[in-house]
Amino acid sequence: MPDLPAVAIERLSKSFNGIEVLRDVDLTVNRGEVVSILGSSGSGKSTLLRCINWLEQPDRGAIRIGGQRIGVDDNGRRMPARELAALRAKTGMVFQSFNLWPHLTVLHNVTEAPIHVKGVAKKEAVRTARELLDKVGMAHKMEAYPYTLSGGQKQRVAIARALAMSPEVILFDEPTSALDPELVGEVLGVMKDLSAEGYTMVVVTHEMEFARAVSDQVVFLDKGIIIERAAPEQFFTAPETERVRKFLELKQ
Amino acid sequence: MNAQTWWLLLEGAWTTAWISGVAIAIGVVAGLAIALVRMARIPVIDQVLVIYISLARATPLVTLVLFIFLVAPTFGIVMNRNIAGIMALTLNTAAFNAEIWRAAFLSFSREQKEAALACGMTNGVIFRRIMLPQMFTTSLPGLVNEMSFLIKGSPAIAVIGIVDLTRVTNRISAVTYEPLPPILAAAALYMIIISMLLKLQDMAEKKANRLTM
Repeated sequence: MPDLPAVAIERLSKSFNGIEVLRDVDLTVNRGEVVSILGSSGSGKSTLLRCINWLEQPDRGAIRIGGQRIGVDDNGRRMPARELAALRAKTGMVFQSFNLWPHLTVLHNVTEAPIHVKGVAKKEAVRTARELLDKVGMAHKMEAYPYTLSGGQKQRVAIARALAMSPEVILFDEPTSALDPELVGEVLGVMKDLSAEGYTMVVVTHEMEFARAVSDQVVFLDKGIIIERAAPEQFFTAPETERVRKFLELKQ
Repeated sequence: MNAQTWWLLLEGAWTTAWISGVAIAIGVVAGLAIALVRMARIPVIDQVLVIYISLARATPLVTLVLFIFLVAPTFGIVMNRNIAGIMALTLNTAAFNAEIWRAAFLSFSREQKEAALACGMTNGVIFRRIMLPQMFTTSLPGLVNEMSFLIKGSPAIAVIGIVDLTRVTNRISAVTYEPLPPILAAAALYMIIISMLLKLQDMAEKKANRLTM
């Protein structure tokens, strides 16, 4: 089914302790597309991203990964843990704070899930990991432990770890927000390469230049509502709402 | 002190070491199992475990040893001394270990767990591959502490007639009328046993450096 979107979100709503953080969000991410989610802190962008792989459970609405509904079935029954895990394996995630597993070397961080989730043979997993680490420029650090790496290096390993499961979509949750300014470029560079290779990506970010250069679609969230969605050129040069205009001015 | 007293002391040390060793081995695993079950918060079972842990932690070892040894026959169970001793030590140490493991569960990084979930790992795989290796490293200092307490508390098993390293010193001095030399020798043997445990702690600390991100 090649024409099913990688991610389809319908009327998604979510509250935390009675405070609505997402309201009736609709979003479709087609295969090969890069979608950037922008908005100020607390606008619900990270929550939206974390609902896609069910790290947060929405209150209402439906999310489909490659056509398959995640978390609950159409009758509202909870998905069995095993099926949920299998569907999550089709989405990779890159976190703001890297979240590498500190007891494993760089290589084993990347091979862990393919071997123990997918059942890939060890040799093959290592070969793939080597290729991916080469792609993100970290092949020389394969035997190192995460604590010896810089933030930018950790994040590049985390990207390789996500790629290792050959996901249908990669979710980036503010991947450069915890980095020193001089390290942001190396991570964005890798992400640009990935988009050029045709990976499907959903990116929550504050990097406006990156969003403008790489996205196919830019979505702006304000208080849990998508108030603007557009192609990047239009979004950055001729925003429709006052809210976005203000936001972009502050980011200049 | 002649060769024969040394031999008696070594026999006592062996008794202390193997009975404590068995109790430690079972107690560490049982403590983990108890902590795992408690994390699942199963009603009734959880309360039962809480009561067990507070009772076992509050009961002196001597009392526990005597209790098990004396109560078993009333249920028609013929209790071997060694088994009663091992049971008492295990029930005691497992309760303390359960609390150490539980603390490790509760303090485990949510971010790392989320990264594992996002990769499609099930809870079983996350526990085995991601949590347990790190929990073992971070808990080992606490576990080793508890192990050394257990060994130092193990003379309690002498009340039911097991001739352990402490008991044997009484027997020797009853014959020689010189209590000090065998007691000092026993102290040295306790130190050797415990220093071997402390080696484990060193190894854990070296590994733990990695975990500080």
